[in-house]
Amino acid sequence: MPARLDIDHELIQKAQRGDTHAFGDLYESHAPVIFRYLFAHLDSRMDAEDLTGEVFLKAWQSLPKYTERGIPFLAFLFRIARNVLVDHYRQSNRLESKSPDELDGYKEEGNPEPAETIGNQMEHQKILRVLTTLRPDYQSVLTLRFISELSPEETAQVMKRSVGAIRVLQHRALTALRQEIEKTG
Amino acid sequence: MNIEHRIDKILEIYLPAIKNGQETIDSIIEKYPKYANALRPRLEAVLWLLNAKKNFEPRQGFVSSSRQYMEQQFETIRPHGFWQRVFSRYTPQRWVFNFTAPVIVILLLALVINSAILTARLSIPGDPFYSTKLRIEDIQVALTFNQIHKTDLYIEFSRERTTEFVELVLEGDYELLTPAATRLETEIIASLRSISDIPSQNQAVEQPKILQLRDTLTNEILMLNMLKDTSPNTAYPGIELAIQVAQSGLMALR
Repeated sequence: MPARLDIDHELIQKAQRGDTHAFGDLYESHAPVIFRYLFAHLDSRMDAEDLTGEVFLKAWQSLPKYTERGIPFLAFLFRIARNVLVDHYRQSNRLESKSPDELDGYKEEGNPEPAETIGNQMEHQKILRVLTTLRPDYQSVLTLRFISELSPEETAQVMKRSVGAIRVLQHRALTALRQEIEKTG
Repeated sequence: MNIEHRIDKILEIYLPAIKNGQETIDSIIEKYPKYANALRPRLEAVLWLLNAKKNFEPRQGFVSSSRQYMEQQFETIRPHGFWQRVFSRYTPQRWVFNFTAPVIVILLLALVINSAILTARLSIPGDPFYSTKLRIEDIQVALTFNQIHKTDLYIEFSRERTTEFVELVLEGDYELLTPAATRLETEIIASLRSISDIPSQNQAVEQPKILQLRDTLTNEILMLNMLKDTSPNTAYPGIELAIQVAQSGLMALR
């Protein structure tokens, strides 16, 4: 973890001086985590990819006012991601289901076969259905801790709560999730 | 250490091993039989999440292929400095609006206040704005620090009270005449006091002021007497009181 923070620190300083390549490195190391977080809240892979890009563009624009003393870079990215998600929800006003036509986009990009894509999509929808039945804060804590693999400290910074509160929340969220899994079979 | 913290620690320790398949739920519970009841459902939920995580991974090559595109975007959208942020947030139209809106509000406020003051100045006893008129006069006196100017103000207010008195008689509001005469008396007393407060070395100014008040009171008595002759009997007591007040003022001047 400290090694990652040191690398981030160096890259951030370069990026703040206008080095787009350094920010590209930050993008490459953090985009998967951000993507996972976003995709765990959305039912469209394309939306999650678009929003991942949007998060990094916003982070790039906000970079001059970012100070590492405040929050670690990853927590900074997650806060932007949360805001981007909220904006997205506001715009779409609901979780939209994508039609098979929209899934065709992946085929053109040389991605998995349609049958496999649809299979993954269905599995994703099933997981999402379970997760979205949970309270929003339960959903957030579980997504951040186990899907994006943030530490309790990082999760606390993203959710603006104490580490102790995050532990209690996670404890309850896991119980709620277990009950929900049982219910849905 | 509370149970939440303990279970969180266990999860942190065994999470990599669960992921790698080196540990199972049962093997972990065997190590912590004391926490079995609390640990099992949570471990099952964690395992479900770890399996679900595979579905949330970005498609292969997405990050590396999108990186180039993102870097091009970063190049075109440079980070905004403070002033850039301020100016990008406020368009010229917004600046114009920000400037004109307060000016318009101030102008409207000035207009409303001005109209209220004008209405108050034209009011007579019994009007809703009359108390405002008296407050404005008090403020005028309070803000006048020169004794001579203050005396001028009191004499002017005395004239104003007489004018109001005449208007009340003409409008037939006889029940308001007595309080109006009392107010006239207050102004005459204030004028007399103000004249006596003019410094004694300033005789050249004091005498004209005495003459000015005398003329005013004489005119007021004349006017009130004329009014008495043309008014109904019901107005007599009020008018009589006002004449007495003015005459007392004249006597005090002598």
